[in-house]
Amino acid sequence: MSFSCVDVRARVPEYLDGALASAETRTFREHLFSCRECRDQVVSIEPSLLFARVSLEEVSAKDVERVLAGVKAGVALKQAERKLALGRSKRRRRVAAIASAAALAALTLVLPGSARRSDSRRPVRAAARSTAAPAPGFAPAAQTVPAGTFPADATIYDWNPGAGSQEPRVVWIVDRSLDI
Amino acid sequence: MMDLVYSENRDRQESTELPDKELALRSRGGDMVAFEALVIRKTPAVVSVARRIVGDAEDARDVAQLVFLRVWEQLARYDDQYSFNTWLYRIATNLSIDFLRSSRSRERAHGATLHLVRMREEMTGHQTTNALEDAELARLFQTVSGRLTGKQKAVFVLKEMEDCDTKEIARILKCGESTVRNHLFNARRILRREIARICPGLIAGRGRR
Repeated sequence: MSFSCVDVRARVPEYLDGALASAETRTFREHLFSCRECRDQVVSIEPSLLFARVSLEEVSAKDVERVLAGVKAGVALKQAERKLALGRSKRRRRVAAIASAAALAALTLVLPGSARRSDSRRPVRAAARSTAAPAPGFAPAAQTVPAGTFPADATIYDWNPGAGSQEPRVVWIVDRSLDI
Repeated sequence: MMDLVYSENRDRQESTELPDKELALRSRGGDMVAFEALVIRKTPAVVSVARRIVGDAEDARDVAQLVFLRVWEQLARYDDQYSFNTWLYRIATNLSIDFLRSSRSRERAHGATLHLVRMREEMTGHQTTNALEDAELARLFQTVSGRLTGKQKAVFVLKEMEDCDTKEIARILKCGESTVRNHLFNARRILRREIARICPGLIAGRGRR
């Protein structure tokens, strides 16, 4: 398909309304691009058509290579990040499971406690508690925890040692043997 | 007799003959050779559209890299019922519009305006744009299109420079065809005003011929 200069000038309103078929639109632009007189005429009617079909800026093979290299590096980075995130999430799940188990064990052991001690907001070594001598500030737990329940280097904090049997009690166990 | 079990070169050669959609599906399955073939094939189109929206060749290459990274990340979401080109253009125009909104891009547009002021001073009042080279025309577009919104600019670029029809642009920008027509109408109106304001001699010179 080809348009003469007369055809092109007659079709400007249709082109602007988007009423030309896709093949006609392409022919219209190609004519404008190659015929300076028609371009001038059409631009005097609709100045924005000055930019219709501005020649494609050639993208060199070097540019394509640069984009490809950047994309490959980006993909490698994203893959590494994904692997790292996967490992981190597995580890986080493991730590969370251990912490939950420890907290549950602590609550089970400690909630029945009713002893009141004013000077007991201190860490207690589990090893000391699990032996015959009860740990200062943690009397209720010491009575019920059998030896070997906690690792030897675990530390237990009681943040409300004076709580009565009906009062809430918060106990925090830090197990230093865990690799977190 | 030995059989060739695997050759990356052979894979590459095969990939260059596959249609876009097939390459996209293979890439989705983790085939990096297919993905590279897709990047090589589509880079000129993506750089071209990004260049016209963001207005700078180097920025356009950066945007193209972001586009293909986004493609790689979201290939699982590509619906193969639709054209791969439409999906790719959607990502390219969205990222180009985002880039255009960034302050860096605005600073560059300001630089282009300064250049145009100098260019205008060099031009005599009645000189026509026939003397303008394509590169200068492209630069002129970046300047006069500075007042367009991202969507208006994207619609104008896709319609007038990338040969997309209204229907396809609506699919790319995920909006109605009437919205596309509105954006185009407003883009033309703003461009007319800006051309008349910045380069009055351009229109006068053309009208006289």
